[in-house]
Amino acid sequence: MKILRLSLFNLKKNKREAIGIMVLTFFTAFMLIIALSNKIKVDTAFDESFERSGSTEYAVLFRGEKYRDGFRHILNEDYGITDVAQGRMLWAAMVDAYASDGDTVSYNFSFVNENTERKLESFVKGDRLSDEDIEALEHPLWLPTNFQIVKGHKPGDEFTIIAGGKEYPFTIAGFYETGLMSSDGYGFKLILSDEDYERFTNIFTTSLDCEGVMLMFNPSASFDYDEYIDKCSEAAAEDLGNNVRNNCVGDEKINETTFLSIYVLMIVALSAVTFVSSLYMIRHKISNDIEDQMQQIGVLEALGYRSKEISLAYLYEYIIVGSIGAIMGAVADIALTPVINHGMSVVLGRNVRGSSDLLLIALITILIILAVVAFALLKARTVKNFPPVVALRKGIKTHSFSKNLLPLDRSRLGINQSLAFKGLLGNLKSCIGIIICIVTAGTALLFSALTFNSFKDGAGGLIAMMGTDTDILMVNLMGNADPESTREEILKIPGVRKVLIRHDGDYLSVKGSSNPAVATVFGDFGDAENIKPYLGRFPERDNEIMIGLRRSQSEGRNIGDSISLEHNGIEKQYIITGIIGSLHNGGSTVYLTTKGYERVVINSEPRLLAVYPDKGVSLTELEKTISEHFGGTAKDGATDEEGPKDLDERIKAVADEKIAVLLSQYGVTDFDYAVRIGDRLIRGNSRSYIIKDIGSYEGIIKTQLVPIGETTRTFTFIALFLISGIVGVILSIISASEVRRQRQSLGIMKGLGYSSKDLMTQIALKFMPVIIISVVVASVAVVYLNSFFWGAIFATIASTSIPVIIIGDVFLIVFCYFVTYLSAGRIRKISVNELMTE
Amino acid sequence: MASFILQTNKLCKSFSNGGTLQHVIKNLDLEIVEGDFTVIMGSSGSGKSTLLYALSGMDKPGMGKVIFDGKEIQGFSNDELAVFRRGNCGFVFQSIYLLENQTVLDNVLTGALIVQKNSKELVDRAKELLLKTGLKEEDFNKYPNQLSGGEAQRVGIVRAVINNPRILFADEPTGQLNSASGKDVLDIFTEVHKNGQSIVMVTHDIKTALRGTRVLYLRDGGIVGDYRMCPYGEDDEKERRAGLTEFLDKMGW
Repeated sequence: MKILRLSLFNLKKNKREAIGIMVLTFFTAFMLIIALSNKIKVDTAFDESFERSGSTEYAVLFRGEKYRDGFRHILNEDYGITDVAQGRMLWAAMVDAYASDGDTVSYNFSFVNENTERKLESFVKGDRLSDEDIEALEHPLWLPTNFQIVKGHKPGDEFTIIAGGKEYPFTIAGFYETGLMSSDGYGFKLILSDEDYERFTNIFTTSLDCEGVMLMFNPSASFDYDEYIDKCSEAAAEDLGNNVRNNCVGDEKINETTFLSIYVLMIVALSAVTFVSSLYMIRHKISNDIEDQMQQIGVLEALGYRSKEISLAYLYEYIIVGSIGAIMGAVADIALTPVINHGMSVVLGRNVRGSSDLLLIALITILIILAVVAFALLKARTVKNFPPVVALRKGIKTHSFSKNLLPLDRSRLGINQSLAFKGLLGNLKSCIGIIICIVTAGTALLFSALTFNSFKDGAGGLIAMMGTDTDILMVNLMGNADPESTREEILKIPGVRKVLIRHDGDYLSVKGSSNPAVATVFGDFGDAENIKPYLGRFPERDNEIMIGLRRSQSEGRNIGDSISLEHNGIEKQYIITGIIGSLHNGGSTVYLTTKGYERVVINSEPRLLAVYPDKGVSLTELEKTISEHFGGTAKDGATDEEGPKDLDERIKAVADEKIAVLLSQYGVTDFDYAVRIGDRLIRGNSRSYIIKDIGSYEGIIKTQLVPIGETTRTFTFIALFLISGIVGVILSIISASEVRRQRQSLGIMKGLGYSSKDLMTQIALKFMPVIIISVVVASVAVVYLNSFFWGAIFATIASTSIPVIIIGDVFLIVFCYFVTYLSAGRIRKISVNELMTE
Repeated sequence: MASFILQTNKLCKSFSNGGTLQHVIKNLDLEIVEGDFTVIMGSSGSGKSTLLYALSGMDKPGMGKVIFDGKEIQGFSNDELAVFRRGNCGFVFQSIYLLENQTVLDNVLTGALIVQKNSKELVDRAKELLLKTGLKEEDFNKYPNQLSGGEAQRVGIVRAVINNPRILFADEPTGQLNSASGKDVLDIFTEVHKNGQSIVMVTHDIKTALRGTRVLYLRDGGIVGDYRMCPYGEDDEKERRAGLTEFLDKMGW
């Protein structure tokens, strides 16, 4: 009974510390349960949605003219796959569309008609218009549920796709569930009417687009994709590498859940920070309580209580505090399930439903309580180190008088600094806990600060990791246009800062790899603005190449190794001179000099003008200006359905449109025509077009990167506050308990004439060396963490901003100083008499 | 005309005791003459220590004035009082109150360095004072727990006088010491007083009170007796003791 009373007394006496531990345990349980139970829930939501969609696990899209029926037979004969769904699909890259808020965004789309959809998947419909309403629609469109959950579209809304400057309005008939095509990776699958599908096959025909035959199947155990494509290539007697696209359930799941996994990882890391902090607080509180109650412990021991029994007094406290904190965390999770489900749905793009797994929640809660109690028991057992006589002497046995550290007569510091550091040196052991806490929390805080800084303007952080110049217009020239003179002309347009003549890099096969490469080509990589090697250097000679970190990691290729590229039967070897962190094209990009590129893609000429705008100039506006300056682009001409009234002009317009289609879609370089109507001859040629098309990454960045950037920014912003709060709570409690522990010494010093400010300064300064060391260690740790984190997840290199780290360090140090200083303020409230005699 | 280093005017101090206000010091008027060795005596609970702490700025009076060298200090903030104490007062406590985690020399310097700059002269003076009190050089690096009560109190006195305070306050400085140690400590006080140090000391011990030049007797929060003596050692000790005993008897001691 006496023991339980002592326990309750400890709880009541140091309410602030007990509440601090409770809050930290609450956050530990809350965040850990959110992270783990929802990770499982998201996986389950994906799996269930996938199953409902009726999708198979694998999909291969062959470019139409390359497809042979034999490819399907290979699946059957060589891999025993008999159940293969087949249909025609159009894959289109970077297609502009209007978002629900009217902004222009860009997607990768897959288009099918309803008939094909029923062959490939079960066409499970969600929210939709009535059948009568759908019947009445001129251009009905079915979108994956992602567009409803994430992008806020509704049945009956207009959904407008923009191609070649022309708008194609659709009405959303409803939403449906799809298995393999609900992300930007492989493209969102849109279901169109037969007419609209046919119309789009004539519009989306660039080298990046792909209309062809889709095979969908569940792979057998013996199925190997690379081997299968090799067999198909053999059967077709040509390399199919660049004419096939594939997706599988594993890749789709990774595509859709990557960022959720990152957030889960970050939440787990945050809960680790709070957990380490709560353990430290427990250690700190038990040490203080034992020290405070040393004589009482001695009395109890003298009365015959065993040290084990006395240790229990300190244990009960943490069973109560830990249980309340952890259970509250679990209850908060359960109560917030609908909100959390909604948040997860928005990030995943599929409906996350249902309650959390109560068994898992109970397990996590119990584990946290057990960990807290076990740690408390370990520390509480130190009571046994104090037999009655020692305890009655306030544990004096343990004092060591061997060395006077930092004697005042030799100190050159001010008295407050001297006394502060003296106090620190005399109690170094207790600093280990503070160091662990501040290093852990400081690393998390600096990482959050770095990530927040990278994402402060939306997608900036991810753009910096792209490994390509993004803030540019890519102007493709017609075959008849002279790149140099066009470049000069564009340079004169206001708002243009720089124009580079480059190759529009084509797909290249990489020998020994199933992952084809897209070439990024520069005459001189010194001109690139967002491309920086992580290791090694840029390629300078025609036999040199730089590759992405992902390819380096997955294929085991390093600087100095050689790599073989192939294009249309031409194979060339290159030496790797550099490795770059790159998100561009999933890290498959290779970087070649102009001459290096021309070795493997023979007879190609650089006909791409990379236009760099002045700061603040809108790419959309600049695109319009350039297009108007050159009388429109061939692509615009090919899709322009507005016709003039006059017969001559109508004939000329039709001819121009035909020319534009031939030029932009069939590789025709030069074209002359003459049309005779009666005795009149109407002439024209293709040379009226200078520009084939103009593109930019702006739309795709808005669609794919900005939402991720904004979520990450919000997340890290909250994390910054949370971690600062944790650091503040820990230090304020330590500082306040330092006042309580040393109240007599502080009272004596007040009696000697030290002011409250002097003593508060001493307490704050006492922790400074430990805090500074911890912050420095955290700064070094965060450099490695930042590099490891982004490298491991995206195989890219996040920039580690040293100024941000320095600002973060200064903030942490100043913040810690003021928290400890202000928390020691209770010195002010106690008179010198009370301090001495309390 | 004697100059007063410390005066009080209608000084009051009360404590709340279970909801009841207990008036410990009541309208007390007092003058302490510079250079005097003033001893405050009285029965237990008469308010001796309370008066000492109010006079020294260790505690704030409830009402009335405390005038130090012509300056009223009762309205000072806690930090102003701290600055006042460091420049003008030295303290010797019954419980000694050395800083446990500091050596003998550091304890003395902790008191000194808040006022003076660290210098060889200061350290030499601290060592010299410690030696004068009978401590040995090997004691300088000892911690308080390694000292006897008498040794510890000598350190306490050196710490109190190292800054040459205008006035030295002592609260039962020999209360925890045996008679031999107590005598040694009192000899130090006498020596210090001979050098012109003003001292205000609270005690209930006649042997200690004999060292003073003036004895004030406190009862029910007011001074009821004021007895003057010549400096210790200048008269016959037996007569001195008899005179003081007679005074105390009259006071009802």
